[in-house]
Amino acid sequence: MNIGKERRIIEVEPVTSPLPEVLPMPVPEKEPELEPAEPGS
Amino acid sequence: MEARLETGPLVSTEPVMAWRAWMLWYRRRAAEPVLLRPIVGSTRPWPPAEPARATCVRPKLHRAPFPHCTCGLYATRSEELLRRTRNPAVVGTVALWGRVIEHELGYRAEYAYPQRLQLVCYLCFFTWGVHGTHPTVAVQPARGQLTPLCPEHLDLSARYGFPTQRWMPADEVEGALLAAYRVDLLRR
Repeated sequence: MNIGKERRIIEVEPVTSPLPEVLPMPVPEKEPELEPAEPGS
Repeated sequence: MEARLETGPLVSTEPVMAWRAWMLWYRRRAAEPVLLRPIVGSTRPWPPAEPARATCVRPKLHRAPFPHCTCGLYATRSEELLRRTRNPAVVGTVALWGRVIEHELGYRAEYAYPQRLQLVCYLCFFTWGVHGTHPTVAVQPARGQLTPLCPEHLDLSARYGFPTQRWMPADEVEGALLAAYRVDLLRR
């Protein structure tokens, strides 16, 4: 394949993987416990 | 006067995104029956779920890709440049990383992995590009080969003696390919 003349060299060190990832199943958050209501005045 | 190749310490943390075409490799009884195979050079299919890695015919001489050599995993800046590719079966985007040598029209890379893929009827692709091709069957003209074709070019191929007796639905082949590499479809 003709891709033309060389221009420059790049060293690519990816921070995130370019490979596909299997995402973990999301863990449902716990329902926050309700604080007891203050007795009415 | 030729421009000098810039060899400064250009470092990037983002993979280079580019375009590439492949043939299809088919082995009915294999764990992954449909894989990507380079059109030129090595006949080994790209491994699923791990990077393709470039090697040079002279592996002890230098690391691939090397300046002023021809080694490396090739990709182009645009899909238009792939339309002259000889009989492509799959077109898609790839992520390139490691050492990447940038050329005027594309790249030679050390590592690559597909990002989005689609099957193409090579005759439609040559005429109308990646968004003008919708193959409906993948014909098996010989053992280990699959050639996607649209209905019009399937009929034309049969009339010109191309072996079309053995075939599979293109969407099944495409689905198996996407599942093998765990990537999404390119076609909108």
